[in-house]
Amino acid sequence: MTRILGIEIRRSAALGTVLVLLVAGAILLYAAPQRWAAGWMALAMVQREYLVLLWPLALAAGAYQARREHRTHVAELFASTARPRAQRVIPVLGAMAIASVTAYLLVIAIGLPWIVDTADYLPARVFLVVAVGALAMIGGAWLGLAVGRLLPSVVTAPALAVAGLGFLMLLPVATKNRPWLTMALSPMYGMGQYTDYQTVGVKASLAQVIWLVALAVVGVVLLASGSWRSRVATLLPVVLGVALAVSVIPRDRFVANQTDKVAQELVCADGTPRVCISRIHAGLTPEIVPQARQALTTLAKLPDPPTAVHEDTTTYYPAWSPDPQPGVVLLDVHVDKYGHLAWPSRVVPDVVIAAMTPGRLCEDGSDYSASRAAAAYVLGVEPAGDWGQWGVVSDEPDPDVGTFLTALRKLPEQEALARVAALRRAAAECGDLRAALTGRTR
Amino acid sequence: MRWLRLYLRSRHVPLALTLGAGAMVLLWSLWSISSNSPDAGAPMVILTVLILVAIAGITLAGPDEALERTAALPWWPRRAAHVLVALAAVVVLVLVTLATGARFGPAMLVVRDAAGLLGLAALGAATLGATRAWFAPLGWTLAAIVFPSVEGSAGEVVTWQTQVPGNGPAAVTAGTLAVAGLMVYALSGPVRPAPAEAAL
Repeated sequence: MTRILGIEIRRSAALGTVLVLLVAGAILLYAAPQRWAAGWMALAMVQREYLVLLWPLALAAGAYQARREHRTHVAELFASTARPRAQRVIPVLGAMAIASVTAYLLVIAIGLPWIVDTADYLPARVFLVVAVGALAMIGGAWLGLAVGRLLPSVVTAPALAVAGLGFLMLLPVATKNRPWLTMALSPMYGMGQYTDYQTVGVKASLAQVIWLVALAVVGVVLLASGSWRSRVATLLPVVLGVALAVSVIPRDRFVANQTDKVAQELVCADGTPRVCISRIHAGLTPEIVPQARQALTTLAKLPDPPTAVHEDTTTYYPAWSPDPQPGVVLLDVHVDKYGHLAWPSRVVPDVVIAAMTPGRLCEDGSDYSASRAAAAYVLGVEPAGDWGQWGVVSDEPDPDVGTFLTALRKLPEQEALARVAALRRAAAECGDLRAALTGRTR
Repeated sequence: MRWLRLYLRSRHVPLALTLGAGAMVLLWSLWSISSNSPDAGAPMVILTVLILVAIAGITLAGPDEALERTAALPWWPRRAAHVLVALAAVVVLVLVTLATGARFGPAMLVVRDAAGLLGLAALGAATLGATRAWFAPLGWTLAAIVFPSVEGSAGEVVTWQTQVPGNGPAAVTAGTLAVAGLMVYALSGPVRPAPAEAAL
């Protein structure tokens, strides 16, 4: 059997399939490395999202391969052999499954060297996410084989690929905003990461496994069977698969936005003052900690200074943010496309600005100009245009910042620091930062 | 006339016309049923053009290329005419819908994508064979539809199928592919397949 399988791999479209999927997958992966440079889960999930292209291509590869007997005019000859058809299709099923899974895993392997030295956190869930993707590829190739056998035309393969793409892209519309149903039926849905802590739920993965196994079974039965009765009977695994998958998957609004609490958990660096980074970003500790400590040292000249820096592990969908703690400054951590800390020169100003900014619980009261002016004074530098969070604040100099800063610098140091301290108190109380900084309130 | 009839039959043109018209009716009905908008979405239009080009691709080779080459006929004008007529057929088939309640347009986009993709398919027929001519148009177009928002001129060239009709780099790419496909196919003809695979 192994020998036959080896021959089938060499003589079928398997090698070409691996090549095409590998090239397509590698181009997609490296077209946007910032999407998956943050860690292993990011890589696994992005690869799953790229099933939107790889799965239709697997369908097309299967359909193309299935035309072989028709193309070479041997269907009748093979039908006359004294072997059941089911036995004859096993090698080709095996070859196409091996090809599509190999290609899927190889694409991940291509992404591996890019992040291997920065990504630390490797949860077991990553392997589940990859396994579901590989299963989807097998199902796609086998379904393609079945359709290609039933409709042995040259245009079956491209038409099937277009239909597969249409299925994946239109499913969220067709299910009328029921994310759990879309997630159960589409192996690529909900794989775009909003935060680096995002993961895929075990129950959702289980539902996808059930549905994808059902699809694979349909492919095998359609390919192996000769009678219309057994072909019609493939409706059974379809219905059963949908029913089981739907019963397993949680009917949760956030089913596609699960947070990995372990990845989100803070890990504190050795030494003082305390600097804690989420586990998923723990590989960036050496890049963040010295700068965060430098910022804390700068802030130490204020009365009642902050004593620790924590990563801001807020997620917006679902909305969750860490409980505010006295003396703790929150810092946004972003990963660049090389897997390293994005905008490393901004860590110090970011921490100082965050120390001058009201907490998330304040409904309003945030005042960029006042916070930045105070931060610039404490740091003893000119405010830079790119100090804005996320890089979305405009680079144009803010005239208010300059006015506040000049006023602060004209004051004696004691008085100026007292005003910055007043601003920090106002920030803690959700008060008026501007009034505190200009000395109108004490 | 007799030569033309035999030629069309050997190129599976009746089959391709039937498939093409059927696919167009199917996709047109799909859009009419599923959407209230009279103008089909750009991805729908691009995929329609892609399917029609894939169907046109099956006409790019006859059953026995080696035999045909022995004929004392100037093949290159015929091959060039074949590609141009196929392009016209694809464009007309899509643009007929402009007169209906589900319009597959704009015309500029249809012409650009049909020309570029058919050129790509002709290149495929000349290198891989007519039964594999759809490989490159399919893979490239699906990728461009999935990730249309690549910035910069290089990005516009890479995702030329999905750019707005007036886009310069996209038009240049489509034109280059069309001319290259036309020239290569007209001059070298379809690749000669292994005898066992000669016929569809």
